[in-house]
Formats: sequence, structure tokens, C-alpha cells
Amino acid sequence: MIRALILLLFCTSAWAHQSSEAYLRYRVDGAEVEQRLDVALRDLDRDLGLDADGDGVLSWGEVRARWGDIERLASDGLRFTVDGAACQSNGAGTPQLDEHSDGMHAVLVTRWRCPAAVQALAIDYRLFAATDAGHRGLARLVGAAGEPLVLVPGAGPQTLSASGAGLAGFVFEGMAHIASGLDHLLFLATLILVAVWKRDGAGWVPRLSGRSAVVETLKLVTAFTVAHSITLGLAASGAIDPPSRWVESLIALTVLLAALDNIRPFVPGPRWAMVGLFGLVHGVGFAGPLKDLGLRGAELVMPLLGFNVGVELGQLAAVALLLPVALLLRGRTVYRRWIVPGASGAVATLATLWLAERSLALQLLQ
Amino acid sequence: MRALFALLLVLPLAVAAEPFTPKDDAAIVQRLPYRVDAAERTRRAALARDPAQLPLALATARAALDRARVLGDPRELGAAQAALAPWWTRADAPPEAVLLRARVLQARHDFDGGLAQLRGLLARDDLPPELRAQALLDSAAVHQLRAELPQARTLCEQLKPLAPLPASACLAELDSLSGNAPAAAQVLARLSPGRTVLPWLALMRAELAERMGDAAALGLYRQALVGADEVYTRAALADWLLAQGRDAEALTLTQGSDADALLLRHVIALHRLNRDAAAPTARLRDSLAAADRREPGKHAREQARFALDVSKQPREALRLAQLNWAMQREPADAVLLLRAAQAAGRDGEPARRELARFVRERGWQDARLAALDRS
Repeated sequence: MIRALILLLFCTSAWAHQSSEAYLRYRVDGAEVEQRLDVALRDLDRDLGLDADGDGVLSWGEVRARWGDIERLASDGLRFTVDGAACQSNGAGTPQLDEHSDGMHAVLVTRWRCPAAVQALAIDYRLFAATDAGHRGLARLVGAAGEPLVLVPGAGPQTLSASGAGLAGFVFEGMAHIASGLDHLLFLATLILVAVWKRDGAGWVPRLSGRSAVVETLKLVTAFTVAHSITLGLAASGAIDPPSRWVESLIALTVLLAALDNIRPFVPGPRWAMVGLFGLVHGVGFAGPLKDLGLRGAELVMPLLGFNVGVELGQLAAVALLLPVALLLRGRTVYRRWIVPGASGAVATLATLWLAERSLALQLLQ
Repeated sequence: MRALFALLLVLPLAVAAEPFTPKDDAAIVQRLPYRVDAAERTRRAALARDPAQLPLALATARAALDRARVLGDPRELGAAQAALAPWWTRADAPPEAVLLRARVLQARHDFDGGLAQLRGLLARDDLPPELRAQALLDSAAVHQLRAELPQARTLCEQLKPLAPLPASACLAELDSLSGNAPAAAQVLARLSPGRTVLPWLALMRAELAERMGDAAALGLYRQALVGADEVYTRAALADWLLAQGRDAEALTLTQGSDADALLLRHVIALHRLNRDAAAPTARLRDSLAAADRREPGKHAREQARFALDVSKQPREALRLAQLNWAMQREPADAVLLLRAAQAAGRDGEPARRELARFVRERGWQDARLAALDRS
């Protein structure tokens, strides 16, 4: 190609890592503000020449020796005001590092006391404006949902709201997630179909009292919730990270098994145990939207709680819609002959297709 | 009960990553992609004091663009732009600055923006010949990239008196894409002066040999790589090896690179060899997502390849390959589109037919596109 000629081999998106990004997190408590800035050591080295011995690697000693310069660069390149007034410095953290996807970052924590309770921060960001025009700062408020605020160096003050969507936002996200996840909903519906029955050898018989059906449903929902809460927490925090193809395939498998068990019970043990086991798989699947937020450590607590509450509210809504109908029909012939086998069969068919699609990476359904 | 849940949720957080302070001063905390030499350091310091020094700014921007090419690091494009900041938006900027400005834009896939800069430059009557030659070549490269061959030819014709060797190579390459591949291959072979072959010429010949289905491509790719070890050349050779089913060799060739283009080939080779690819695949997915977030739609070539060869989503691959085809139309892009269309089965049939018509009209010869003619 002609590009070869001009030694301009810009292999279209041959790029390594990503463009330079610094991460800003603000924790606001009344008039107190804690600012954490994570800035890449590679970027600091370009501007400050941290590699004192010129050996092409940075040692902790080389970084630590220049920590004062790093703090100065950060305070020159990043200021914020509240209602037009500057806040008073209230100390700084010790030199620390943290690993991000594009390498090690220096972590600069500063604490500030502002004149009044903080509603919004006006951030004036100039970091690396003179040396990397592609650099961006990504600012977010601790515990707030949604996309981070993208800070363009030298573009003037940009506003970060300190109120945020908060817990309610995450509850909503959780509800939206369960509402859009047909596999989770069908799993629940499949369970409720026969929660109004009880196992009798190789078949099912209707429960006599509505009360026992409600108790059984409660057991199932609780087992599911406890199980998926555990794995949701583990997956969202990054403690476990199984390949999503496996998780999605296993979720399809749980739906299939539950539906087959409806038609002719074969899974041993009480049903809540099966549901608990399967719930572990679903929990990993719930974690996607939370993982995307990039929150870590203690920051995840409130979002996780909110998200999980949202997921449960979504589930309860589904239960509230289906259980009364199932209770009403549980003794009828049409329910035993047609509704349960028909619905379970349909779910099993769909789950089989999902399983094939997800495990073999095919596309069978539109 | 709720308290129990809260406890369950908090438990795993103890193991999540947190900022830390290394215990030992000798601990290596970051590998740097390149060493800054003394000259570069002096230049940067001088530029930091007074950014409006044209020769220093040009040298800094050129060095950054060179590194971008060799390392495939997008940070360097930002560095080049920053060095050119005093002249970045000025219409009357010195021609050298405009040339570099155009290259930054092209590297970010802003082809229209880059071409507009170069057109403005070529319209200047007092443009020195060597800069005119550069501007002609850069524009021709973009037109060729978009399969606008007549425009590219016009520019390379104008190049003849200014830079005969590149002009001949350019015209031969365009001939090869217009139905005269064997003759063009001979012209390019004759252009090599003496025994040593210029890396760019070797690369051009390698790509032509690959299009002709000639196994000489391997030796030529290796020759190009020895002359200039750059991400593009390495990725092109890796693709050739993958296409020949020499997956283990492709794996070795792409070992240990940070560049997305090479990581992609590495992951494909791992998958084909049934090796564990979980970690590099996750890294690549993150990286492609970050690139797409920063420049939406501009990285469709790599994304399509990922969907096709790694995540095995043929329909998504076809969508991305078509998006890429709307942006750039080199033979490699056509091959990608064809493969995606074939993988998508019946859904890919319209795309395949349209591509077949395009290739027929242009007279492209490419052994890899032979499957287009099956209808």
C-alpha cells in the first residue's frame, strides 16, 4: 500500500492500550470533600522524567523520591471550587499506587474543607494540557450511578453534581436489569408454576392449603436471593471472573433443568436447594452492569445493595403477578394437563435454543 | 435477613484491589515503553519553557509520530498534537506543521480532515518541492486507502518529477489493483536497487505477492520486518501466517506486544491452538471497548475481526465489517468483509454480492477473494 511508501504505517487502530486517562473520584460529606486522583506513571514520567537512572523501568524508589513534584504537578493541573469559592486544604494522603488497565497509577488523595455544604463541584482540569492533547480526566462521585464526567484539559471549569442519583439510581438499575433479562424472569416463572404443587414420588400433587404454597414460594425466592447475592458480590468486586460465555450457557442450562423438572420431577433433594444452587449461577450474570461502573472496594457496597434490592423488587413484582393465578388454578385439570406442561415445554425449548446458541456461539434466534 | 445480605455483600470486598504502598524501594512498578534520550529531554524542557519554537516543536511532533508508528501507542498522537498546539488551528501555519497536523488526523482516522489540510497545502504556490512531494504522497495514501484509485493516480502522476522512485512504486501498486498484478510485481521487483531492499518496498511487494497467492510473500514480509520492525508489518505477517494455518508461528510472532493489533492476532492464534486465552482476550476486549468509547466506529476493523475470529458472532462481525468498509477499502478490508459475509450465511449474501460487483468493476485481483466468484 502507498502508506508503506511514506513510512506512515498507521495501521488503522493498531493502538496499544488506550489513550491516556486519569481517574478522579470525589467523596462528599457535607462541607468535607475528599479528592482522589489516579494518574498514570507513564504520563508523569513523560512530564517529570521520573526514570532517574534511565534504565527504562520505574522503581518505587524513583517514584517516591519525586512525590513532591508529582503532587505539585497535580495541584497545578487540577483545581475545584464550590459556589465560586475555593476550599481549604485539610491534608493529603501518603504516597500510594494502584494498578489500572493501562498500567500503574500514582494515587493522590487530598482532603478539603469548603465554606458551605457542597451541592456541586466546578472542576478546572488542565493536567497534561501542554504535553498530551489526547489526555482526558474521568471524574465521578463516589456511590453515584451513571457515566463519569469527561474532563478535557484546558476546556474551562466543568460541573460535577454532588447529589448524584445515589441509592435510588442503583435500585432502578437492578429493576431494569431483571425486567430486561428474559432468562431470569422465565426461571422465576418456571419455579412459581409448580410452587403451588408438591412433589409426590415421580409426579406432582396440588398443595391443599394456599398458605403452604406461599411458604414454598417464599423459600424458593429466599434461596434464590441469598445465592445470587453471594455470587453477585463476588463477581462485581472482581473476586471471581468466569468467562461470560460459560455463565450465560449455565444460566440457560438452569432454566432448561427447572422446566424439565416441572414436567417430570427428577432433580433430587428439596426444590429450594436446587434453586439455591442455580441462583449462584444467575448472580454472576447479574454483575455485568455493576462491573462496568468500575467501582472498587468499599465504593461497591451501596451500589451493590441498591442493585440487589432492585433485582429483588423486580422478582417480587413477577411473583406478585404470577402466584395468585397459580394459586387459583392449582387444582384444576386444565392447569395440570395443559398449562404447566405447555408453559414448561415452551420454556424448555427456548432454553435449549439459548443453551445451543450460547455454548456453541451460534445465532439461532433473532 | 437484610443485615445478613449486607454482610454477604461486603465479605468479598475485602479481596478487591486497593491502593498500596510498595514495601521495597527497588520494587519495579512500571515498565516504560521507550527510553527518553538526553537530546529528547533537552528538547522537551526547552519546549516547555517556550512552546512557540517551530523547529523544536516539529522535531518533538515527528518523534512522537514515529513512536506512534513503531509502538502503536495512541498517547503519542496526543503528544504530537500538543507539540503543535500553537499552530494547531491556524490556517496560515507553516507547511511542515500542516503536514504533521494532517498525519495526526489521518492516524485518528479523520480522513476527510486530513485530506482537507493537505488540499489546502497543495494549493499554496510557494510550497517547497520536498514538502509538496510529501503532501502528494500522504493524500494519495488516503485515497488508495478508500479505494479512490483515480484520485490516487492523479496525485502520483504529479509526484513523478519530484520523487521518481516513490512515484513509480505508487503507480505500480495502483496498476496492481486495476487488473495488472503480474506486470506490477515485475516493476516493483526492478525498483529494488542492488541487493538491499528498502523495507517499505519489501512490504509493498509482500502484500502484492499475498494478493496474487504467491508464497514469496513470506520472505518479503520477513525482509520488511528486518528492515523496520513496526506494528503494521508484524500484524500483516501474522495475518499471512494465520491464513496459511501456521498458527504456532503467528503466536510466536505476536508474543509480548502491547499493541492491540498484535494482541488481536495473538488471541486468534491462541484460540485456534486451543490454548488458554481468557486473560489476553479480556484485556483485548477492554482495550477495544476503550478505543471505541474514545473514537466511536473508528476501530471497526479490529472489532469486526474480534467478533469474527474470537467471540464468534458472525452477524455482529458482518455489521462491523460493513461499518469498516464504509470507512476504508483496502484489499484486507474486502477480505474481512467477505469472510464476515460468508460466516453470516444467508444474511451475508447481499453484502457478498455487492462486494463481488465492486471488486469486478475495479478489476481487483486477489487470491483471497476467489470465493466471491462462486455465484
